[in-house]
Amino acid sequence: MALVGAFACAHTPQLLARPGTEDREIVLRVHEAFGRVKHRLEALRPDLIAIVAGDHIEAFFLSGVPAFAVYVGTECAGSFGHYGYRFPIHEPVARAVLEQGVERGFDLFYTQDARLDYAFYVPLHFTMPVPAVPLVPLHVNVYLPPQPTPRRCYEWGAALGEILRGRPERIALMASGGMSHFPGTDRYASPDLEWDRGILELLCEGRGHELAAVTGEELDKTGNVELRTWITALGAVGAARAEVYCYAPSWHHGNAVVEWPL
Amino acid sequence: MAAVSTDAASVHDLHYRFPPARAYRLNRCLFGLKSDPEFLARYLADPKAAAEAMGLDGDEVCDLLAGDRDALLARGAHAYLVFMAALRVRMEREPSDFEYF
Repeated sequence: MALVGAFACAHTPQLLARPGTEDREIVLRVHEAFGRVKHRLEALRPDLIAIVAGDHIEAFFLSGVPAFAVYVGTECAGSFGHYGYRFPIHEPVARAVLEQGVERGFDLFYTQDARLDYAFYVPLHFTMPVPAVPLVPLHVNVYLPPQPTPRRCYEWGAALGEILRGRPERIALMASGGMSHFPGTDRYASPDLEWDRGILELLCEGRGHELAAVTGEELDKTGNVELRTWITALGAVGAARAEVYCYAPSWHHGNAVVEWPL
Repeated sequence: MAAVSTDAASVHDLHYRFPPARAYRLNRCLFGLKSDPEFLARYLADPKAAAEAMGLDGDEVCDLLAGDRDALLARGAHAYLVFMAALRVRMEREPSDFEYF
């Protein structure tokens, strides 16, 4: 069992660069929860973090839109505003995920030359343990229809979990994204907090597998297209009960930080 | 948890829609504002010229410069690209409005 921890973290950029429209107290509550994740990671001593995030049309514009992708190679880098970042990739595990994923029937896309979106960076900015560890960045298409179905995300996550458990390294899994938000639409100021809370209750009861049955349409209607990253992680953690570190919704975003103790 | 809907999705009801090919240049321009610092700098220096250089027609340029989200969405712009392009422009034009962590 080399999967030592699993987490889900919000990544809204307002947590990194806070405009005057954001309640500072809410932002700091999320930072505090991120701090707990960082301490947990330091206690769990992973050799790497496998992080599942939804690319915000950053690495993959319309020249190629993979459903699932693995970043392989020695490092990955990106920028957001004046933040520039670069992370080493744990190449042996990245290649194992890619090769064993394909063997298991998932036709994965891979890249050695794609910009790393802030969806990967924001939670790591706050949670990367000291000393820092390399990543295996894993992409799920969340914003460009047709996205992979929640069931497919769950199945991929289940396979991913088996692959990671078969490795000799100590691996932490992190899903980045969510919860309800509607950037760029007329629903922006009306996140579906009730739906979020219902999902968090379900996760605390160890019933995350039920999310595999949600439709893509429902994720879109509730502002939760990014929950595909959580559903992928849920495939890997199975019936583990979630511990909610915070649910701190802003006027536009259901900020949540969760651990699945394994 | 809310009841799971089993109805087939109508793409016109989705918040995040398939980007139609007719909107490719518009979406490419928004992607440039979001993700290409050099293009963003050119846009900040001369918005109209930068947008026209990306192949946008007169009406698209008008809606982009006006920041008319609904008009851009109606033209097939992807909602997330509209959102983040506007945020990136704002971050550059009004950097003091942000607290950086």
